[in-house]
Amino acid sequence: MVEEQDKLLPIANVGRIMKHILPRNAKISKEAKETMQECVSEFVSFVTSEASDKCRKENRKTLNGDDICWALSTLGLDNFSEVMSRYLHKFREFERQKVEQNKASSNEEKDEVTSNVFGLKPNSSALLEFGILEKGGSSSAKRK
Amino acid sequence: MKRPGTYSGILSGGISGRTGPHLLPLARIKKIMKKSNDDVKMITGEAPIVFSKACELFIEEITKRAWNITLQGKRRTLCKEDVASAVITTDIFDFLVNLVSDSAKSEESQLTTKA
Repeated sequence: MVEEQDKLLPIANVGRIMKHILPRNAKISKEAKETMQECVSEFVSFVTSEASDKCRKENRKTLNGDDICWALSTLGLDNFSEVMSRYLHKFREFERQKVEQNKASSNEEKDEVTSNVFGLKPNSSALLEFGILEKGGSSSAKRK
Repeated sequence: MKRPGTYSGILSGGISGRTGPHLLPLARIKKIMKKSNDDVKMITGEAPIVFSKACELFIEEITKRAWNITLQGKRRTLCKEDVASAVITTDIFDFLVNLVSDSAKSEESQLTTKA
């Protein structure tokens, strides 16, 4: 039973994403959320397999974000591919900026910077642009 | 001064239930990726993050389409059949057709055995 759940994303998270884009009074049945869970896992597996094949043909051992964007495009999911390419680009920009910040403030507490790995610095416009802080779904996203 | 929990919470990517600013647990996404194919051995740190966003878009896309079907049926509860119909009527989700048909079939056979 536990193994089965390992292959799926948590129903609460899936349900939350579904709820976000529906009107307030919309209801979602449990079976609908369960079906969505299965669809998402299949989506991840499907795209990963394609990306993995590409890596194998190119004799690369490590699957990266570009491979995923490529796989999305190859599988006809062009809209997703375009959005993800932009997202990936912004993410890499953000990571680069973080590294530069690290170098500049190497004498400051390292764990403070580490806690910003996923962009929890509230006054950084780059993060808002990147879109990480747009979603209000996670209560652990610190704004102050 | 170290803040206990912050670092480990982010590294674990959601094992403890915390997912940071992402809506989906990265560790779980990574697990699904690894199970998809025996060839998948190493994954860069950005890969689950890319998938986290892609899955979000994916869920939103199907949900929007499913909800249109719900509305056409003059209902306010999005049900499993609406999700199945959304998948079947969208070309790019062809790879899911068997999956949604299978779950519809297994429900049917469950109802048959109960009766």
